[in-house]
Order: sequence, then structure tokens, then C-alpha cells
Amino acid sequence: MRDFKIIAGVTVLAAVLVLAGCKGKESDEESGEMVLHHVLPTKIKSLDPVSMRDVYSASVSGQFFETLYEYHFLKRPYVLKPLLAEDMPEVSEDRLTYTVRIKKGVLYQDDVCFEGGRGRELKAGDFVYGVKRVANIKNISENWSLFDNRIVGLDEFREYTKTCEKAEDVDYSRPIKGLQTPDDYTLVIRLKKPWPQMVGTALADRVTAPVAREAVDYYGKDIISHPVGTGPYMLKEWRRGSFIELVRNPNFRGEAYPNEGEPGDSEAGLLDDAGKTMPFTDKVIWTIVEETQPAWLMFMQGKIDTSPIYKDNYNEVFSQGTELSEKMKQLGIKLEIFDDPSTFWVGFNMDDPVLGKNKPLRLAINRAIDREKFIELFFNGRHKVAHGFVAPLMDSYDPSINDRGYARYDPDEGRRLVKEAEQIYGGKLPELKLAVPGTDTFGRQMGQFLKRQLNDAGLDVDVQYMDWPTYQEKISTSSAQMFFSGVSASISDAEDFLGLFYGPNKAPGSNKFNYSNPEYDSLYDEATIMNDGDERRAIYRKMEIMVLKDCPAAFLNHRVAFALRHEWYKNYKPHAFAYGVSKYRRIDMKKRAEYKELLKKVK
Amino acid sequence: MTEHQQTIKKAPKGRSLWQDGLRRLVRRKLAMVCLVVVVLYFLLAGFLYVAEFFDWQVGPIRWAEEVGESYQPPSSNSIFGTDIFGQSVLRKTLYGTKISITVALCASFISIAIGVPLGAIAGYFRGFVDEIIVWIYSTLSSIPYILLILAFAVVLRDKTLFGHKLAGITSVYLAIGLTSWVGICRLVRGEIIKHKEREYVLAARSYGCSTRRIIFQHLIPNVFHIVIIDFSLRFVAFIHAEVILSFLGLGEADRPSWGAMINDARIELSRGVWWQMVAATLAIFFISLALNIFGDALRDSLDPKLRVQ
Repeated sequence: MRDFKIIAGVTVLAAVLVLAGCKGKESDEESGEMVLHHVLPTKIKSLDPVSMRDVYSASVSGQFFETLYEYHFLKRPYVLKPLLAEDMPEVSEDRLTYTVRIKKGVLYQDDVCFEGGRGRELKAGDFVYGVKRVANIKNISENWSLFDNRIVGLDEFREYTKTCEKAEDVDYSRPIKGLQTPDDYTLVIRLKKPWPQMVGTALADRVTAPVAREAVDYYGKDIISHPVGTGPYMLKEWRRGSFIELVRNPNFRGEAYPNEGEPGDSEAGLLDDAGKTMPFTDKVIWTIVEETQPAWLMFMQGKIDTSPIYKDNYNEVFSQGTELSEKMKQLGIKLEIFDDPSTFWVGFNMDDPVLGKNKPLRLAINRAIDREKFIELFFNGRHKVAHGFVAPLMDSYDPSINDRGYARYDPDEGRRLVKEAEQIYGGKLPELKLAVPGTDTFGRQMGQFLKRQLNDAGLDVDVQYMDWPTYQEKISTSSAQMFFSGVSASISDAEDFLGLFYGPNKAPGSNKFNYSNPEYDSLYDEATIMNDGDERRAIYRKMEIMVLKDCPAAFLNHRVAFALRHEWYKNYKPHAFAYGVSKYRRIDMKKRAEYKELLKKVK
Repeated sequence: MTEHQQTIKKAPKGRSLWQDGLRRLVRRKLAMVCLVVVVLYFLLAGFLYVAEFFDWQVGPIRWAEEVGESYQPPSSNSIFGTDIFGQSVLRKTLYGTKISITVALCASFISIAIGVPLGAIAGYFRGFVDEIIVWIYSTLSSIPYILLILAFAVVLRDKTLFGHKLAGITSVYLAIGLTSWVGICRLVRGEIIKHKEREYVLAARSYGCSTRRIIFQHLIPNVFHIVIIDFSLRFVAFIHAEVILSFLGLGEADRPSWGAMINDARIELSRGVWWQMVAATLAIFFISLALNIFGDALRDSLDPKLRVQ
């Protein structure tokens, strides 16, 4: 009898545990939590400011890593405003010294790396530490090119790190003359030469986000998956290849929603939350969905808040031109169209013995690609042909570049240039290798398209499809011969684009083309210390033409973004340069709850 | 001539196992129709190899040619319409036959080349050797099949073997072949255990034949009908495996295969482009059906004891 009781007790306990385990995950409606649901089209490799350079990790890390300055959420043209800084920097007369006052009382999120597990106050030294980590050559940071030959003493610090065995051996307490902290709330930056774009380029970029030394010491190499920031959210869970979940950071100081924007914002409801304390939502979740169709179906089912328009869903979205179809209207789906300052290209590795020394070959590839058809097939004709590499939104964009014919499709000339290239090479050209990021259908079809175009010009091409981290490693180590790539500007100045071809920025820096042209480099050095104006714009345009003539890439298209959002997704205004925007978003919970019923009715 | 001698002379000539099986097989009309279908697929694949070798510009070889606008629905000009690049879906489907048959054939030979000798050695020697081989294939079979193939395909991709890069279909048939020998190994082992004590084996042993000769010249030929039956049934599974691998992006990337076509068509369905999916599915359907029916008939004919009533 006693045995029976024990067995019965254990059985009941097991049943209770099983039933408790079977309970489904609470929906947002059930939990009452306001949650943002997004999709990431690829895995991300790191959440450490030292090793982040792509838009996907920026989209996530922007929610917990804050910068000294950020772009205003609503104002256009884009303007910078302080975020962790008290005010805009004080700049010396010689334009070489920047003094930044840092907000007091900003706390890091609670984390076991801190004493007692409680987040400590942000100090000016954390910014210096963050920049030193980028400078540490052992960390192999792709972001170093941003600081190369800019800050007094920083290059010497980088030289010193070369003498250390490991990244951990570096003495971060070594002073740097150009990065001083007279007190815990003041950061003084001394430059070697004027850098007027520094605030937008560096101080509003995640690469200068403050890093708590305690976190790096505690997590060591695992710091890439244990971000410790000061932002409105903090990482709760990251399952690589599956999802990323952020929750509200209880230590966040709170920030007021903007009170002003540009004309039309108020009418669009973008100022309804003016003055209210942000963030509005409790959680932000990114589900990693590499395939476009599952992502689209999730959007249509209301499981994610926003979506781009994939090429195969174009007909479903629009009835005519850019007018939404009846179904989309009934479902309350909204369309936002905006110029995205981005350029995509087939890049050539100029260090490659076949491509680098053979300009006719590079020009042949450039002539062989029918960009209009490329845009028609893969973007439903929505993007713009890239005649140069500076995107149309930039103030130095030259509209007359369209007439110069650098993006001309001329297969006959392409074939003639291939013959010329063969003479230079001394025989039949070997098979060229093209690295394409993505193993999905879109990537494969794009690779096939490019292969067909180059085959038509008489070139043999092997398209190599790879996942995003593999691809990034390949182009960062200069082991790709040709690569399909692109960039979105992070500031409204064309420097982001021009820096891609600056000699000292060679891979693993941003110059993945390994393009080197002393004249271009000296113009770049000259332009980057100049203030905005016609003279600087003229130099920028001259530099662009130099690159187009040397042809280190076949520029393909500029993106025009078509974004869809559900009606419940509030405070959405496309922003070309900001990533930490989840704090502005709000969800109309009632509308989201009603969507399921609406979906049934429309079906 | 004595009466006894006359009786021997008049006795009907005996039929071998193979002749007997063939006789039973040709009586099955449906199986013969299916055989014709299978042979047609093989002939098409063979023809495409020859055409490619001699550079004959026949339709399926020119699958990459643009025959019309993107995504043209089926019409008299193009029976199965066109794909994103304006290529004929019919031509791609026909060319896909070559990829599928090549993969299935090579994978079958690899799995037979590994499975049959291992099964025969395990069955004949038993003991420690048997335990080792059984342990290897039990371990291998405990891993989910598709995951195992995927792992092999990922590992083999971009590797080189004797200077030959294992890309595209080479890595696919190697991955399938190297992971699919367990079934045939088990069957052959069981059959050899049954046969090894039979009179003809004992006779060979008493004549002083070597172990190698007994296994490869006496035992394996006598159990080879099992291999043929397994081959015919497994062949279709290999075609499916190739389709799955191509569908998952691990197969042939630059040339049309049925799996890649279904992969493309999957997202195109949302824009109403159904013809690529239908064409590839029909191609797979007919060869799968034909091989299954023919394989069943072959099994019933060669090994009537296994016949399912």
C-alpha cells in the first residue's frame, strides 16, 4: 500500500510537471505586453561594437548601444542631436579639439559583470575604452579605418598593440593624448587634422558606443553575445539562427518623444506621442527568417509588424502602379516609399592577379551587365540604375552622371573588351569566381543572372553561394575575386561611399576592392578636412569619376525602399541613418488584436 | 544407348534463376510499360551526355537560351511556359533528367560498392568482424537520414578529390552514396548467413577454394538478385534525395535540376507562376511511379517467396 502511494504521488507530480510544460507560450494579447515583432533575413555574427559593421547587427545593437549623438527621428533634412552627450560638442578654433560633456546619471543595464549585479554609471572613460578596443590590432576590427590617422596618439597605441601577444595583454590604461577625460563627464578629443564630419561619422556611430570594461573582462571572447549597454532595451535571449529577444532596460533613464518634426508629421500622427517618455514597448523580437516567402506569410498573418515587398509578392500588393491592392487596403496595411541612400555592385578585388591588372576585363564586365533588366527582374523595376556609386540622397550626388555612360549596357563592346583583356592576359581568361551572399532562391537567381550576362560577353564564371558570415569573412580577407555587395550610407555625407575606395582602408577595412590610387587618396585626405561647400562637393565628384574610370566595381543599382507596415505599428517614419529607433515605436494593441478577425473577413 | 541414357537426353533443359525471373517478369504488362518509361528516362539522360560531348545543339542542351519573356504561361510556343529568365521550362525539365539519373545511378553504385562487400564479409565471417560492421551501420542508421546526407553534402562541398572539385552533383551523389549503403549491407549480410552453410558453399570449401573466391564468385552471385531488387527500389529514393538536396540549396546551383526548379517555383507560386512546379513534379512523378511498380514486379519475379499477396 505504501508503495502504491509513492507511485501514485510520483505519477501525479510527473503529470503536473508535464502539463505545466505543455502550456503554450503566452500571446502578446494574453500577456498584455507591447511587443515589436521584426524579421532578420540573416544570422548575425556579433553584437560587439568592435566587430559590427553590417546593417543587420546595427538594427539589433542600436537598441542597447547608444552613442553620443544621434539623428533626429523626425526632422528632414537629417540633423544631429545629443543622445548621451549633454549638448553638441565645443569645437576649438583650429577645429582640432572637440570637448563633449556627457550626461550624468546614465546607468548601464544590470549585469553580473558589475559589482553586485547592478549597472554602474556611464563615465567618459568608457568611450575612450571603446575606441581603444577598436584600435587594438588583435581585435581585427573592421571599423579601424574610421579612426586611421585621425586622433592624436591613437595610431601609436595601435602600433603598441602589435607588440602584444594577445588582445588581453594590451594595457588599456596607457594614455592617449588625443582621448582625454579631465573628469568622468568630459571627453576631449584631439585630432591630427580637421575632421568636420566626425560627429555624424564617428560619434553617432555604434563603433564609438561606450563599452563597460567590466563586461569585456567578465565575458572575454563571449562579449560578442553578451552586449551590456545603456540603451532602452537589453538582450534577454539570442538563439543564433532562430531569434533575438530584447526586453526593456529598467535602468534606462527615459527619454521624451520629439515635440517637433517636419511639416506633415503632425497630420500623419507622428507627433501624437510628443513629449511622452520612451520606450513605449516592453519587448523587441527579431525572428530570423532567411527565406522571403515565410517572412511574407508571417507579415500577412500579422506575426510581424513591417515587411519589405518581395519581388514575387509585388502583384499581390499593388493593383496598379504604386496603389495598394484592395486586399491590402482592407487589411489596413500602409505603404511607405523612400529613397534609401544605398548602392549595390559587383566588386572586383584589385589585388587579384587576373582582375587587378586587367582594366579591359573589368570594363568588359561593366558593359556586360544589363542593369535595367536586373532591376526589372529582381526589384520589379522599383530601384534606380547606379550610374555612379554616390547615392541620389547625398548632397554631392551629381545628376549629370547618368549621361556619362559608365553604367551603359553594351554587350558588343563587352565582347570586344574581353578580346583585349585576353591579349593582356596572354591567352584565354581563366574562370572568374563570383561570391554571392545568400544560398536562398533570390541569391541563386541573382547569381545565375550575373553569370548569364557575363557568359554572353564570353567570360566563364563560377558563382559561389555562401551564408552571410562566410561571405563577410571571404571579402574581409581579400579571398574573393569578385563579390556582389552593397552599402547603405550611415551619414548624409558621401564620405561613407568615398571611403570605400580609400587606399588605407583596404580589407579588412571598408575598401574591400583593395583599390589604391595615390591621387584619389590625397584628394580624399584633402576633402575630409574641408567643411561642407561647393569646393568640397567638386572634389567629391572628381573622386567619383576617377573611380568610375578605373572601374574597381560594376555599380548596379540604388535601392528605393518600399516598406509595408500594419496599421497598429505607430510612429513609423523611414529613416536612412538611424538604427536605434525601436524606442519610438508604439503598438496599437486593440488594432493588433482585431487583425485576426479582419483577416478572416478579408479571406 | 541404354534406356537410362535416353531418359537423361530427353529431360527438359533447366532454367537458371535469372531466366526464370525474366520469364515471370515479361508476363507482367504493367511492369513492362513502366520499364519502357524508365528506359526512356535513361535514354534521354544518356542522349544528353552524348549531345553535350559532341556539342549537338539540341533543345534541352540549349536550356539556358531565352525563348520568351519572363514568366510566360504555357502556350503552343512553350509547353510548360518560361521561368524568370525567359528560359523554356520544358527544356529545363528534360535537362533535369540527366542530373537526377546521374545522381541516382552514381549514388546507387557507390552504396552497392560499399554495402555489398561489407554485408558479405560480415555475414560470412560473423564474430568480431560482424560485430564491428553491424556496429558501424547501426550507428549510421541511428542518425536521421536526411540530416546525415545534409551533413555529408555540406562537408563535401568545396572539397577536392584527386584534383577534382566536389561541387554540384558530385558532392550530392557522394553524400547520398556514402550514407545509403546500410540497407543493402543488412540485406546481403542476412542472405549470406543463410547461404553460407548451403551445399554449394560446402562443396567449394571442400575443393579448397579461397575465402575470397567463395564470397565473390559463389555467394555474391547467388544473392545478387537481392541487390538488383534493392537497386530498383532505392533508385527512386535517390532521385528524391537529390531533389531534396537541390531544394535545400546544396545541389546543382548553375544547371537545372528538378529540386532546384521546385525550389524556385515555391516562391513563384505566390505570383501565380505554377508551371515550373508542375513540370518538375510531373517528371518526378512518372519516374517514381514507374520505378516503384517495376521494382515491385522485379522483386516478385526474382524472389517469389517475398511476393506480397
